[in-house]
Amino acid sequence: MSPNASDAVGRAERRDTAADVPRRRRTPVPVRQAVVLSGLAVGAVVVSAASWAGTPVTVGNVGGMVVVGLSLGAIYAVSASGLVVVYTTTGVFNFAQGAVGMYWAFVYWELRVNRGWPAPVALALVVLVLAPLGGVLLDRAVMRRLRNLPLVLQLMVTVGLMVAFMGIAATQWQGDRGRTVLPFFGHTGSFEVIGVTVTWHRLITILVAAAIALLLRLLLFRARLGVAMRAVVDSRSLAALNGANGEAVSATAWAIGSSLAAVAGILIAPESQLVVDVLTLVVIDAFAAAAVGRMRSLPWTFAGALLLGVGQQFIRRFLSFDDGFANMHEALPTILLFVVVILLPQAQLRARGVSAQLARRTLRLTDVKESTVGVAALFMLVLAWTGGTLPFTDAWSSVGINRGVTMMVTAIIMLSLVPLTGWAGQVSFAPLAFAGVGAVIFAKITGDTGSAYGLVLAAALTAPVGALMALPAVRLQGLYLALASMAFARGFELLFFTQTAVIDPNRGGRQFAPLSIGGWELTGTGRGYLLALTVVFGAMVTGLVALRRSRWGRRWVAMKDSEAAAATLGINVIETKVAVFVLSAAMAGFGGALFGLQVGTLNVLQFELLVGLPIVLLLVVGGVSLPAAALFGGVNTVLFIVIKDRWDYSWLSALEVLGPGIMAVVMVLNPAGAVAEIGRGFARFLPWRADARAAYAAEVAANREPEPGELGLSRPFTAADMVATERALSVANELARPGHDGAAAAMTVERPAP
Amino acid sequence: MTGTMTGDGRRARLEARGVTVRFGGLAALSDASVDVRAGEVVGLIGPNGAGKTTLFDVICGLRAPDAGSVVLEGADITGRSVHRRARLGIARTFQKLEVFGNLSAVDNVRVAVEMRRRWDRSPMRPLAEAAAVLERVGIAAVAGEAVAGLPTGTARLVELARALATNPRVLLLDEPSSGLDDSETSEVAGLVRSLCDDGLAVLLVEHDMSFVMDICERIFVLDFGRIIAEGSPQDVRVDPAVQAAYLGTEAAPMNGHRQAP
Repeated sequence: MSPNASDAVGRAERRDTAADVPRRRRTPVPVRQAVVLSGLAVGAVVVSAASWAGTPVTVGNVGGMVVVGLSLGAIYAVSASGLVVVYTTTGVFNFAQGAVGMYWAFVYWELRVNRGWPAPVALALVVLVLAPLGGVLLDRAVMRRLRNLPLVLQLMVTVGLMVAFMGIAATQWQGDRGRTVLPFFGHTGSFEVIGVTVTWHRLITILVAAAIALLLRLLLFRARLGVAMRAVVDSRSLAALNGANGEAVSATAWAIGSSLAAVAGILIAPESQLVVDVLTLVVIDAFAAAAVGRMRSLPWTFAGALLLGVGQQFIRRFLSFDDGFANMHEALPTILLFVVVILLPQAQLRARGVSAQLARRTLRLTDVKESTVGVAALFMLVLAWTGGTLPFTDAWSSVGINRGVTMMVTAIIMLSLVPLTGWAGQVSFAPLAFAGVGAVIFAKITGDTGSAYGLVLAAALTAPVGALMALPAVRLQGLYLALASMAFARGFELLFFTQTAVIDPNRGGRQFAPLSIGGWELTGTGRGYLLALTVVFGAMVTGLVALRRSRWGRRWVAMKDSEAAAATLGINVIETKVAVFVLSAAMAGFGGALFGLQVGTLNVLQFELLVGLPIVLLLVVGGVSLPAAALFGGVNTVLFIVIKDRWDYSWLSALEVLGPGIMAVVMVLNPAGAVAEIGRGFARFLPWRADARAAYAAEVAANREPEPGELGLSRPFTAADMVATERALSVANELARPGHDGAAAAMTVERPAP
Repeated sequence: MTGTMTGDGRRARLEARGVTVRFGGLAALSDASVDVRAGEVVGLIGPNGAGKTTLFDVICGLRAPDAGSVVLEGADITGRSVHRRARLGIARTFQKLEVFGNLSAVDNVRVAVEMRRRWDRSPMRPLAEAAAVLERVGIAAVAGEAVAGLPTGTARLVELARALATNPRVLLLDEPSSGLDDSETSEVAGLVRSLCDDGLAVLLVEHDMSFVMDICERIFVLDFGRIIAEGSPQDVRVDPAVQAAYLGTEAAPMNGHRQAP
């Protein structure tokens, strides 16, 4: 078509639209997306030109990039398609996908290398038997119970599973020896095509991915089971009415997901290292690929995965970055995830009905007086403990003090999530990134003078970073926000904290002078510091308790329960979200500065995404909307360390990861949180809680066996009487049904739209 | 479309003009226009899936129309965000409950009163005022209870109270009587009438025909996204197009009887 002809068509289309839609018309979304995409393309070209390494562009180099990139992309694709299959059929996004793949890769190593089984046998056993069984087991034990939980808890449980798998693998295969899985047909098995060396392993990887793509396509669109799988997503109950077995579908999806994770893990193991963290993170990169497919489209997911693989190889081969950006190829998935997030259409405010939340009871709000009493009690306890008057012999030793400080600092950082996640419902896995920013600011500004103003500045200057994180949050909801926060944390880990100007890895020694406040000198490991932290923590808890009872607290909770309804009351949802992100970042930054003072020297490892996850999980296990849960989380963090040190068994070696992971998975049984449960038990012993005593008395009365005479019975109620009563009741129910629910349901059956 | 003046010379407080909404290739609303005057209760009826709730979403800003405009007291507000429209005086309830389940009943209302500080400079005591609104709706007894634990009908009244607490100029009620028993329904009807006497404009979607026929001065009938009739309850009742629309789907309600509870 000539340019002129296409122009004419364009004009005709425009005229059509104008005639069709006489009044205002919204800007079509693709324009914005095109602008963003072309901007990024220009950016990518500029970056590439600026950091061109000078590698000659030969057939061999480009071909090598494509082959290695495609095989890497194939692995991402396999893992990501597992995610997509599980998400589309069960509605659960499995953050543990990477960790599951890592675990099965270790099992494969155990069979193939450690026990010397033949590769085909080990492969078949892991991929076709153990991994699917594991998936079904996960579905039965955990995932099924997630279905009716709020999204925040769903996400936390699968993240818990991820951390737990890391803990299990680290316990089972301890990191004291190197492990390698050889590529299929060894390192030397390769052939050459037009000057490009292709190893058999990479060829197999690419072929396996292609085969999996084909099989999944056939399964979902041709097989009866696949059709049922897609039907169940749309409406579980409707699919069940039409004869689909939802439970079988869910189990199948998990079996496939787990099996695909295993394939990805086993294929990546020879290319990477058999190390728990590395494998888990490599397969996490598949998230970005799945996000390209909007978690639903397998073809787009594959395209995203291949782009990712080739892009990473391009960076490794042709670009060279300074030390600070040396992780650029690792950061590419994170960058891609962010790009996808920016390109996603604005999440619309929608009225969705509140049925999912209606099951929960509202918790009684703590008042400021109660919180003050509790905080004072905590301070006395810490005072007595550090003074050596409590019967823990080593408590007041320097080790004990240091653990106490760790507990308080962790608890303070955890507090930052209480308003953000607990009240406003914004999931964030990035509290340690903010803490790290706060620590760096504190170190830069007043670290060596010991001025307390630095703490205030750390909080104040971290706050705008929170606003940055709020940018995706005002556009996204739920799952995508959680992913964005992970990408945010990972991006800071790979590209920000690595800068020499931010944290200088060559600078040894303490970066923080003792803090001087009103003539007191507080060293980061001293008793005085612990007591000061206790006071600070107490003040923050009480402040939060007051905030929750203020109009901002109510507004945040209202926004969590229904953004649409909140907006119809005049609440500016964007402004309200930004406010809570800013507050949370300031609190985390403040906590990070306190952490810096404790450890003395900052390094990149302290603020990694994976280090932060147990902190988030333990808070949620305590009950994310309660400030007191931060203390629970802090105590547990330290408890795992203490247990590990006290009993030096090798199976405890990964306890600080394993513990929080398992606790978070078990949380599925008690979504309200541990602190809420404990509080319910203890409230009746508080003198001013007459209401709790009354509730307890009512509960006891309800559970008491009635005396026969009380019910007007002439003899005890027997098992036979019970059967007779139940039968009578079921008949009565049948009779009552048409007049009530049945009729109402029949009335509301929707007429199909034209 | 007529201007801001309606037939009998009274000025429309709220108008939706020629609203069209498409879901993919499907027109949920085609050129639908409704208007409400101050002190008037207007009903919006039609079979399920006719586009009633979609029209509410367009009016309060939850959904942008593909064509058409929303005009409040002569000012075009089509481009305004949801919260801006709320501040201009548009309040609504939801067909599927959108209560704040984790707040108590009184706090649900209090959030609305507190937001008014932003645009309403009159002195206020939010807690007392919220309690007064609950009293007016008749659910003062459950003020301290968690809304998550309330029966559907009571929760619906909490939503009504919450909408009233914004001091609206236009109130959109989406099936206000569903989930309510007969006495609650007549209380709500009385409340809506007294609100109108104070000059509020009310637009309501309702399936309970006796409720609609009793309370509304004018009724718009929506079918397949088009307004097929407009007029007094008596006119609409005998309109052949309306009867055709309901025939075979929901013929019974048009006889003026209540649906089965």
